[in-house]
Amino acid sequence: MKLEGKAKMLRIHFGEDDKWKDKPLYRAIVEKCRELDIAGATVFRGVEGYGASTLIHRSHLLSFSPDAPIMVSVIDSEDKVRKLIPYLDEMVDEGLIAMSEVEVIKYVHQSGARS
Amino acid sequence: MLKAGPAKKVSIYVGEDHQHHGRSDYSAILDFLFYRGVSGASVMRGVAGFGADHHMHTTRIELLTGNLPMKIEFIESPEKVEELLPKLHEMVGTGLIEVQDTTVVKPSQASKKKAPQASIPSLRREGKAKLMRIFIGENDKWRDKPLHKALIESMRANDLAGVTVYQGILGYGANRRVHRETTLNLSHDRPMMLSVVDTEEKLRAYSPILDSMVQQGLVVLSDVDIVKYTHDYQEEERRKEVRQ
Repeated sequence: MKLEGKAKMLRIHFGEDDKWKDKPLYRAIVEKCRELDIAGATVFRGVEGYGASTLIHRSHLLSFSPDAPIMVSVIDSEDKVRKLIPYLDEMVDEGLIAMSEVEVIKYVHQSGARS
Repeated sequence: MLKAGPAKKVSIYVGEDHQHHGRSDYSAILDFLFYRGVSGASVMRGVAGFGADHHMHTTRIELLTGNLPMKIEFIESPEKVEELLPKLHEMVGTGLIEVQDTTVVKPSQASKKKAPQASIPSLRREGKAKLMRIFIGENDKWRDKPLHKALIESMRANDLAGVTVYQGILGYGANRRVHRETTLNLSHDRPMMLSVVDTEEKLRAYSPILDSMVQQGLVVLSDVDIVKYTHDYQEEERRKEVRQ
């Protein structure tokens, strides 16, 4: 897969508790991205935050509380990212989706370099 | 790489306890030399000595004394030495730097080298800048060292304004392999993202080095506006006092 020059970055913010068809929403989003052959997606867990629902999301001391803020970052060409948006629209009930412009400097992989 | 012929030998004397941004000075200097492509450097620890403050540093008087003299030595071409000196000057603090003319009779054999980087003005305090995000895996290595650690060290040595490493919990990238954390957090294969903010020129100047280090992953650049970039000098002073 090739990715170069101007691209779009999509950042999707929601809570770790959020579900899509009984599975964690972040996992469902990553799976959807793979299905649509999007170049890559990464899920980050935040430490504290609040959002659309104005509820404070906080990961507790022993990280037993599951409701930390989650951000999924997706980067691909604009048309690929736009294809993903309708699905996200349906999946993300409560949250924020933001898109920004990025310039790809490097996108490489070594085939067979890792098991 | 170093060639036979005239060269400069630089000796730097610091105390073992000297600190540079929260780590020992000699190792910060050594890292700096390493990531700026100096062909070789050695650190030697003295057994006793004294410096400008005429305070005797020795292992004999108090067995546990930490502040022994450290000498960092390297040999490079005059141009390279010229290029590195300003930063070294800043890094040694109260230490001493000495430069001698020397002749390389036989250079040591090595295979790899890195392009030297010219020093570039530091980050402006506000206005337009670029944000670079580097997506790699926790498992990625550079010369047997975790890639994200090596990248931070090399960014520091190349004077980039700052970098933050984020650890993801799930992701996939160029090689289509899913990286995820396991329930026990023992996984060493989480996705990692480094975010660096600096001027476009500095990031572009750094990109050949980045290119040689990142074998797989994604690097993207975007525009940002710097709203604030400050440094609490008082806080740093307080920390120094605590350490002493």
